[in-house]
Amino acid sequence: MEAPQIGRSVHRKEGRAKVTGQALYVDDVAPAGLLHGVTVRSPTARGIIKGIHFHPTVDWDEFTIVTAADIPGVNRVKLILDDQPYLASDVVNHPEEPVLLIAHRDRARAEDARRRVTIDIEPLPAVFTIDDALARREIIWGEDNTFKRYRVNKGDVDAALAAAEIVVEGEYETGAQEQLYIEPNGMLAIADRAHGVTVWGSMQCPYYIHTALAALFGIPAQRIRVVQMETGGGFGGKEEYPSIIAGHTALLAWKSGRPVKMIYGRVEDMASTTKRHPSRTRHRTAVDRDGRLRAMDIDFIIDGGAYCTLSPVVLSRGTIHAAGPYSCPNVRVTGRAVATSAPPHGAFRGFGAPQSIFALERHMDRVAAAAGLSPEEFRRRNFISSGETLAVGQTIREPVNMPALLDRALALSHYREKRERFARENARGGKSRKGIGLASFMHGAGFTGSGEVHLRSLITVEVSREGAVRVLAASTEIGQGTNTIFSQIAADALGIDCDDIEVARPDTLDVPNSGPTVASRTCMVVGKLVETAARGIRHTLVDSGYLSVLYDREHFRAACERYVDAFGALRATSQYQPPSGVTWDDEQYVGDAYGTYAWAVYVAEVTVDLTTWETRVDDFVAVQEVGKVINPTLATGQIEGGVAQGIGWALYEDVVWREGRMANAQMTNYIMPTSMDLPSIRVYFEEVPYPNGPAGAKGIGELPMDGAAPAIFNAVADATGAHPTHLPLTPERLMSAMETIGA
Amino acid sequence: MQPFSYEKVTNEHEAIERARLGNATFVAGGTTLVDLMKLNVEVPAALVDINALPLNQIEDQSDGSIRIGALVRNGDLAQDSRIQSRYRVLSQAILAGASAQLRNMATTGGNLMQRTRCYYFRDPVYPCNKRQPGAGCAAMDGYNRIHAVLGVSDKCIATHPSDMAVALVALDASVHIRGANGERAVPITEFHLLPGDTPHRETVVRPGELITYVTLPSGPFGAHSAYVKLRDRASYEFALASAAVALQVEGTTVRSARVALGGVATKPWRALQAEQVLTGSTANTAAFRNAADAALTGAVSRRYNAYKIELAKRAIVRALTDALMD
Ligand SMILES: Cc1cc2nc3c(=O)[nH]c(=O)nc-3n(C[C@H](O)[C@H](O)[C@H](O)COP(=O)(O)OP(=O)(O)OC[C@H]3O[C@@H](n4cnc5c(N)ncnc54)[C@H](O)[C@@H]3O)c2cc1C
Ligand code: SF4
Repeated sequence: MEAPQIGRSVHRKEGRAKVTGQALYVDDVAPAGLLHGVTVRSPTARGIIKGIHFHPTVDWDEFTIVTAADIPGVNRVKLILDDQPYLASDVVNHPEEPVLLIAHRDRARAEDARRRVTIDIEPLPAVFTIDDALARREIIWGEDNTFKRYRVNKGDVDAALAAAEIVVEGEYETGAQEQLYIEPNGMLAIADRAHGVTVWGSMQCPYYIHTALAALFGIPAQRIRVVQMETGGGFGGKEEYPSIIAGHTALLAWKSGRPVKMIYGRVEDMASTTKRHPSRTRHRTAVDRDGRLRAMDIDFIIDGGAYCTLSPVVLSRGTIHAAGPYSCPNVRVTGRAVATSAPPHGAFRGFGAPQSIFALERHMDRVAAAAGLSPEEFRRRNFISSGETLAVGQTIREPVNMPALLDRALALSHYREKRERFARENARGGKSRKGIGLASFMHGAGFTGSGEVHLRSLITVEVSREGAVRVLAASTEIGQGTNTIFSQIAADALGIDCDDIEVARPDTLDVPNSGPTVASRTCMVVGKLVETAARGIRHTLVDSGYLSVLYDREHFRAACERYVDAFGALRATSQYQPPSGVTWDDEQYVGDAYGTYAWAVYVAEVTVDLTTWETRVDDFVAVQEVGKVINPTLATGQIEGGVAQGIGWALYEDVVWREGRMANAQMTNYIMPTSMDLPSIRVYFEEVPYPNGPAGAKGIGELPMDGAAPAIFNAVADATGAHPTHLPLTPERLMSAMETIGA
Repeated sequence: MQPFSYEKVTNEHEAIERARLGNATFVAGGTTLVDLMKLNVEVPAALVDINALPLNQIEDQSDGSIRIGALVRNGDLAQDSRIQSRYRVLSQAILAGASAQLRNMATTGGNLMQRTRCYYFRDPVYPCNKRQPGAGCAAMDGYNRIHAVLGVSDKCIATHPSDMAVALVALDASVHIRGANGERAVPITEFHLLPGDTPHRETVVRPGELITYVTLPSGPFGAHSAYVKLRDRASYEFALASAAVALQVEGTTVRSARVALGGVATKPWRALQAEQVLTGSTANTAAFRNAADAALTGAVSRRYNAYKIELAKRAIVRALTDALMD
C-alpha cells in the first residue's frame, strides 16, 4: 500500500509543464487557415442603434462580418434569466456591449478594421449608481430596475429594535474589483453545419459554454464540443463571460467556414468583461447592556450592471452571509440586485459574501464599542455554536468552535499586547499610527440552497488494463490545484501513488458534467464523488478476488489486467446525492443554505502614515477551520492569494467609472498590490473533518477573500480613531474620514 | 499593435539619417514605446533601434562635470558610485521608480522622453488633445485624481511621469541633442514644454533628432540632497507627488537650495519660489513649510486632485528634512 497522499504537499500535477513552457494555452495554437476575430463594441452607455457605418477605405469583402442577424439560434446567453444578447441589434444597454464581429487572416488588419466601423447610436438616459437605479427616474430593466430580491426573516426585528437599549446604525460601501487573472480571455472555434461546433479556450465551466452554444446555434447538444485549454487563472472572471466569447468565436467560424480565434487584450478584458459587484449595505443593530445581539436589520444592495446574468445567485450568497457567524434571535436581511448601465458585474471569488461580510464585520466593531466591549469580547459573546440556528433557519449541526479560532488568532498575532502597546505609542504622537483589527466569519461551501441538487454532478473514474487510472470530470484546473487534489483523493481511495493517476483534460466529448468550477465546491463536492468512484473501483477489484486487501502497485496492476481481461472496461461513475437531512426551500428561502461552512478569524496589523494617509499592512494572521487539508502547500497558497486579493480590494484596487465604462482599464492605472505591498501572510488551519467531504475536506477557495478587508478597516479604525466605511480605502478617502472626526 | 518595420543602426549619423525618413521612431529600452504601440496610442511605421550606438558610458569630464550617454540604463546610472556619492538625489529618484527589471531596460534618453500615464491618453476610446490635437480633454472634467496642479492649461492637465528628470532639474543638468544640423545643449528646465495650446508637443526634440548625452555640472549639492516619492503602492508605480531637493548649508543657514517636483506638474518642475524662500533662511521646519507653501502658490486643482497640493507640500517638507538628516 502507498503511504497516504492526502495531507502531503505533493507537487502540482501540471507544474512542470507550466514552468517549462510546454503547457498549451489557447493562444499557443494556430490551426491552418486561422482567422483572427475582433469585437466592435458600443461606445455609448445606452441608446438606440441607428446604423452601422463601414469606412469606405477598407475592402470589406476580405473580412467575415457577423451581426445579430447571422445568429442561427437564440440571441440570448443562456444562464438564469437569459436576458443578455450575444450581439446587440436594436438597443445597447452598456458601454462596450458587443454589436458586431469581424474576422480576418491578419490580426492587425482585423484590429485596424474594428476601428473603421462606426456605430450610430441615439443616446437614451442611462443609470450609473445604485441610488439612481433605486430612484427609478429612468427604468432601464424590467419594471423597477431590480433583478432580484430576497428577504430573510427570523423573529420580530421591529419589536426588538423598538425595545432595544442600544441601537447602532451604519452604512458601508464597496467598489468594483477586476479579477486580473494573468491570462486574458481567449477562445478558438471550428464550426459548420456538417460537424457542429467545437471550441477550445480559457474557462472555468465547460458545460456552461456547452449549454449556451446549443441554444445560440439551435443545434442538439451532442453536436457541441467544449475543450478547456490550460487556463491562466479565473477567480470567477472565467465563469460566465467565456460563454459569450465562445459564442462570438463560433459565430465567426460558422459564417467563414474557417477556424477563428479571439484573444482579448488586457484593456478589452478589463473594460468589457465582468467585475465584482459594487455594493451598499445598511445596518441597524440592537444590542443589550450585556453585549448580546438582540436584532439585526440589514439592507444589502448590489449593483448588477446592465443585464441580470449571475446577479441573483451572487445576491443570494451575499444575503445569506450578511448576518455572519453570530447567534441573534431577530434578523431581517433584505437583499436586492439592481440594474445600472455598466457592463454586467459577475462572479468573483466570494460571490457577494465579501461585500456583505465587509459591512457586517466593520459594523460589529462599532456595535462592540457602543456596548462598551472590546471587539473580541463582543464577538465571543455572540458567536453561533452547534445546535443554534442561522437567520435562514439552518441549524448548525457540525461541531463549530469559533471561540477557539479566536483565541488562536489572538495568541498568534499577539493581539492584546499589541493593541495596548499601539494605544500607548499612538498617544505619544508622531508621524504614524499603528493599529490591529480582526474579523470573524464563515463561508458556505458548495452551491447555495438547492443548487447542488439541481446540478446532480457526475464524475467517472476509469482504469486501463495496465492499471492507469483516469479521473474524468468537467472541473477545471485554473491554477488552484484541481488536478493535484483529485489525484491525491483518488490515489488514497485506491491505495496507490498520485503519479499513477491522470486527471483528464476537460473535454465535453469525454468528461461527464461535474458542474462548474466555482463556489468552493470542487474539492468538497466533486472531490467526494472522485473518492466514492475510486473506492468503488477498489471494492470491485477486491470483491472480484483479483486484489487482496493489502497490495502494492504491482498487485494493483496485475489485478486490473485480470479484471479487464475477464470483464472488459473497469469504470465507476458517481453522482451527487445530498447528505441526509439537508433540505432547502427555494420558495420560502429557508433551510440548509449550505451543506457546511468553513470558519475563520483573521487579524490584520497596520501602520497609517499621517503625512501621506497611506495604509500599510504589516502583519496578517489567518486562522481557519476548513475540514481536512488535502494539500498544505496548495491550501496555504489559496489563503495567501485570497488575502492578497482582499488587501488589494481593501486598499488599492479602484475601478474608475466614467459613464458606465472603466476609465482605468490598464494595469498601469488600476493599482493592484505587488509583493512589496504585502505583509507576511501567516496561515493556520484547524482540521475538523467534515463527514461529507473527501477525507473530511470542506471548501476553501473563496473563504480568504472575506476576511482581509474588514480586518484591515478595523485595524485602521483602531490606529486612527476614524470610522472608514468605503472601500477601497485610498489615501484621499482616509483623509476625509479623518477630517470627519476632526483629526 | 499595427505592423511596423524594424531596423538596427550602429552610429549616430545613420540613426539621424534613418529617422528623417517617414514615420520612424527610435526605440531604446522600449519600456514606454512598446506599451503605447500595443495600446494603439503610438503607431510608428518604422522602428529604428538605437541600442547599438556607443552612448552607454558615464564619463568624468575635465571641468568636473559628468557626462551620461543617452543609452545608459537607468539601473546602471543609479548604481554608479560617482552618481551615488556626488549626485545622490539622482540615484534615489531612479531607484524610487518602476521595478528592477524595468530599470535594467530603461535608458536615460528614453526616460526623458517617456509619456504621460493619463488614463485617457492611453486609451484611444477617449478624446485627448495630446494624442489628437483639438479632440478635447477627457481628464478635465473626468476622474482626474492623478493629474497635475502646476503648469496646467485648459487643453491638458497630464503630469510628466518621470522621477529621474525631477532629480535632473534639481541638479541643473543639460541635455545634448543631435540633429541633421549638428548638436546643441539645452538646459533641462527648457527641455520639456508646458502643454499650453499644444499639449502634443512635449519636448524641444524635433522629429529625427537624437538625444546623445545628459551632463551634470559639478555642484555644491553633494552633501545634502534627497528624493521623496509618494505613490499608491510600494513598487511599479508613478508618483502622486515627489520632491527632489538639494541644499547647501552653512551652520544652520541655507546658502542655496534646489527644489524640484514630480507627479504634480505637467513637466518636471523647478520650484524657484521655494528656493528663494529657503535661501538665507534658518533650516527648520517652519522655513521648510514656508518654502513648500511658496512652491505650490500657483497650483490649480480640478475636482479630484486637490489633495495633491497638500501632498506635494508634505513631500517637500519631508525631503528637506531628510536632506539634512544625513
Ligand atoms: C510598469 C512601469 C512602471 C514605471 N514606473 C516608473 C516610475 O515609477 N518612474 C519613472 O520615472 N518611470 C517609470 N516608468 C517609465 C520608465 O522609466 C520609462 O519607460 C523608461 O525610462 C523609458 O526608457 P526606454 O529606454 O525604455 O524608452 P523607449 O520606450 O525605448 O522610448 C521612449 C521614447 O523615447 C524616445 N527615445 C528613446 N531614446 C531616445 C534618444 N536617445 N533620442 C531621442 N528619442 C529617444 C523613443 O523614440 C520613444 O518615443 C515605468 C514604466 C513602466 C512600464
Ligand atoms: S490631460 Fe492631457 S493627456 Fe490627459 S486626456 Fe487631457 S489632453 Fe489628453
